[in-house]
Amino acid sequence: MQVLIEMKDIIKVFPPNVVAVDNVTTDFRKGEIHAIVGENGAGKSTLMKVFYGLEQFNQGEIRYLGQTVRFQEPGEAIARGIGMVHQEILLIPQYTVWENIVLGAEPINFLGVIDRQRARQMVQSKIDEFQFNLDIDAKVDDISVAARQKVEILKLLYRNVSVLILDEPTAVLTPQEIPQLFNELRRLRDHGHTILFISHHLEEVLTLSDRITVMRKGKKIATVQAEETTKEELAEMMVGRAVLFTSHREKSNPGMEVFSIENLTYVDGTHHTRLENINFHVREGELVGIAGVEGNGQFELVNSIMGLIRVTQGKISVNGFDITNAEILERRRYISFVSQDRGKMGAAVKASILENVMMTHHRLNPDFTTWKGLILNDQFARQFTRQIEQQFAVVMGNQDNPFRSLSGGNQQKVILGRELLLDTPFLLLDQPTRGLDVGSIEYVHETILKMRELKRAILLISADLEELFRIADRILVLHRGKIAADLPTDQTNIEQIGYLMLEGKEKNLAKEAN
Amino acid sequence: MQRKLISGISGILIALLIGAVIMLFQGYEPLQTYGALFNFSLFGLFPLATTLRNSVPLILTGLSASVAFASGPINLGQPGQLLMGALFATVGGLYLDLPPWLLIPVLLLLSMLGGALWSGVAAMLRKWFNMDEFITTLMLNMIADFFTYWAISYPFFDRSAYSPMTPQINLNGWLPIWGEFNSNVLVMILAFVVIYFVFNRLTAGYEWRITGQNSLFARLGGIKIDKNYVTVMLVTGALAGLAGGLVVMAGPHRFLKGLGANYAWDGVMIAVVANSGLWATLLYGLFFSAMQTGSLGMELITAVPREFIQVLQAVTVLVVVAGRGYLDILFDKTIARRKARERTV
Repeated sequence: MQVLIEMKDIIKVFPPNVVAVDNVTTDFRKGEIHAIVGENGAGKSTLMKVFYGLEQFNQGEIRYLGQTVRFQEPGEAIARGIGMVHQEILLIPQYTVWENIVLGAEPINFLGVIDRQRARQMVQSKIDEFQFNLDIDAKVDDISVAARQKVEILKLLYRNVSVLILDEPTAVLTPQEIPQLFNELRRLRDHGHTILFISHHLEEVLTLSDRITVMRKGKKIATVQAEETTKEELAEMMVGRAVLFTSHREKSNPGMEVFSIENLTYVDGTHHTRLENINFHVREGELVGIAGVEGNGQFELVNSIMGLIRVTQGKISVNGFDITNAEILERRRYISFVSQDRGKMGAAVKASILENVMMTHHRLNPDFTTWKGLILNDQFARQFTRQIEQQFAVVMGNQDNPFRSLSGGNQQKVILGRELLLDTPFLLLDQPTRGLDVGSIEYVHETILKMRELKRAILLISADLEELFRIADRILVLHRGKIAADLPTDQTNIEQIGYLMLEGKEKNLAKEAN
Repeated sequence: MQRKLISGISGILIALLIGAVIMLFQGYEPLQTYGALFNFSLFGLFPLATTLRNSVPLILTGLSASVAFASGPINLGQPGQLLMGALFATVGGLYLDLPPWLLIPVLLLLSMLGGALWSGVAAMLRKWFNMDEFITTLMLNMIADFFTYWAISYPFFDRSAYSPMTPQINLNGWLPIWGEFNSNVLVMILAFVVIYFVFNRLTAGYEWRITGQNSLFARLGGIKIDKNYVTVMLVTGALAGLAGGLVVMAGPHRFLKGLGANYAWDGVMIAVVANSGLWATLLYGLFFSAMQTGSLGMELITAVPREFIQVLQAVTVLVVVAGRGYLDILFDKTIARRKARERTV
């Protein structure tokens, strides 16, 4: 096959000194699906962004169709037939599908007005050509995430792009939607398009791609043929050591009920019922997982447990204490909380590590202050920070450095350390491994399981079904603000939960038999 | 820390350079002008003492703005709070008859009370009606301006005077002067030490700082951010009020029309230049005071008008604020480029 893109000794340093791409030399061939895999921060997105013109590389050379290129901005890349679909979907929800697709490149009639008919025809012909199964007159607001992603891809195809770069396209999809996307991508390949596919899900990479480039810490480790490798081999190249894919989860032995929610309902300011009659409880030494497509009430559930919103009806209690309307500080005596967004809820990133570690402890633990809580006890806080550094194996440097100087994994370790050392009976973990690399995820999971052994009651909200199946004892499915199912992990499977997440009810087997 | 110092000093030097170019363009002699400017503000006991005395209201209103900005509230009410503080101290000084060791502290406390009361109004408007302090403090400035003007024109008017002003306050309320040095500087230093300690060592100060950086994180951590908001408004109002009290007690010893001058807006400007840092506020306050103090002498010796100092101040603000961000990017980019070259095989 013809080599389409050649990259030679590419270096990208993010100021001041983060080497994101380190002397990468690789090539991409015409008409292949080429996956780029690596942990978070391995440099796979950055490599694609410097090619696409979103970032500028410092050293090296890129050749495209035999010519040396250096795109200053994505527009230049699109003009040369290269397009990128980002993780976040950037469409106008009020516009229809075809309007979104032609936006910025509308066909114009002789009056200088958008030629709607021709625009719709052009869009429809693209949809037919690649069998995308999409209603062009639907409003983007009303269509599913998977359909929106198709619109993003069509936007590029409409602009006659022949090289498609997809940045973790499956991250927003449910397990059921992924095969369809893959079929569409294969069809595109068979039409002669080249697809560069960024991912860290090894299984999907193996099913979809022709060749795979593995990156680790900015360096290219290898480029291999998909049929000649295995998941284990890829994982080892990605992480640099062998990874265990099965967790050694022991059967839990839950004790007394610690946390409970009764008849919880939350109606928001716009009269939408976001949570409806939620009932569940978590026992000591039990790890309950909450699965669900994002936006089905997880956010409201976390906020009502933490006291950021006032629930409309119902009761939340920990250890028998009613905390439904308690002050946040009062709740924090019973609840440790790890949020999904470290920069927004979990830390003040510009403040020092020390200042971030002290939070909440400074009010609940009298050792952190002297003079009846008036003056900070700097010495004790420093000693406590060192304790977290050692106990949670944080690579910290100076405690007075800003929190954001830590890597993502280390930031999460510091937050975990701070929250777990609050010594509360109940832990609320909202996607605690989001955005972390494989090594850090493993560490977080081990820590969570250790807490379960210590008889803590744990509620884990996760968008990652594999994570839930690896460590949760019980899985609740949240669908449109209601609990659609409550199943012990060993009596269900990913497919069943995936279906419940989408439909909110069990698959109708009789219908299937038809 | 070092980087801050470099960017601050280089910013001031560049601003002076730009000032020099402007002067050359207008046919003035820059070296002679700057010589006169700093001769009359720094060199010699009297110039130095005057610079220090004049720096007090700038630094105190600057600290008020810095503490507010760094803790979250956009308190822009220093002009009004300063005037209310000055009025409270004046009225106290007119009617109270106490020995100096008692009257001086009482008047200082009264001025702080006046300032805090005024910022407290903004805090309550936020609490009850969810009105943004950014707007209310600005509006309250106007009200304070006209209210104090009314107060010195009618109820507390000095009948022997030809323009709106109060009589002089009780002699026991005058701040002592030692040689050239006015003791208002001591009060300012004391206030600086106290606010520095509160902000950096007290549990409350820690909560303010964290809330200023990420209020949602602070709230989830159990900090009562609404309560702290009110406290910060009161404390920063008190600081601005204290500035007003000191202006009265160190200077004319009465409230006369135009007393607030431009002190408080200069203070806000200093807080912006200082990036809400307390030490930086102190140092920039001294620098701005030196420029303002020296401008009189400059006008005396050279043909450059005093107003030129306002240009110089504005240029300093622009250069330092713009330079702060730019220098960081420049530093980072240079390091990145060097690192990339090292990596090339």
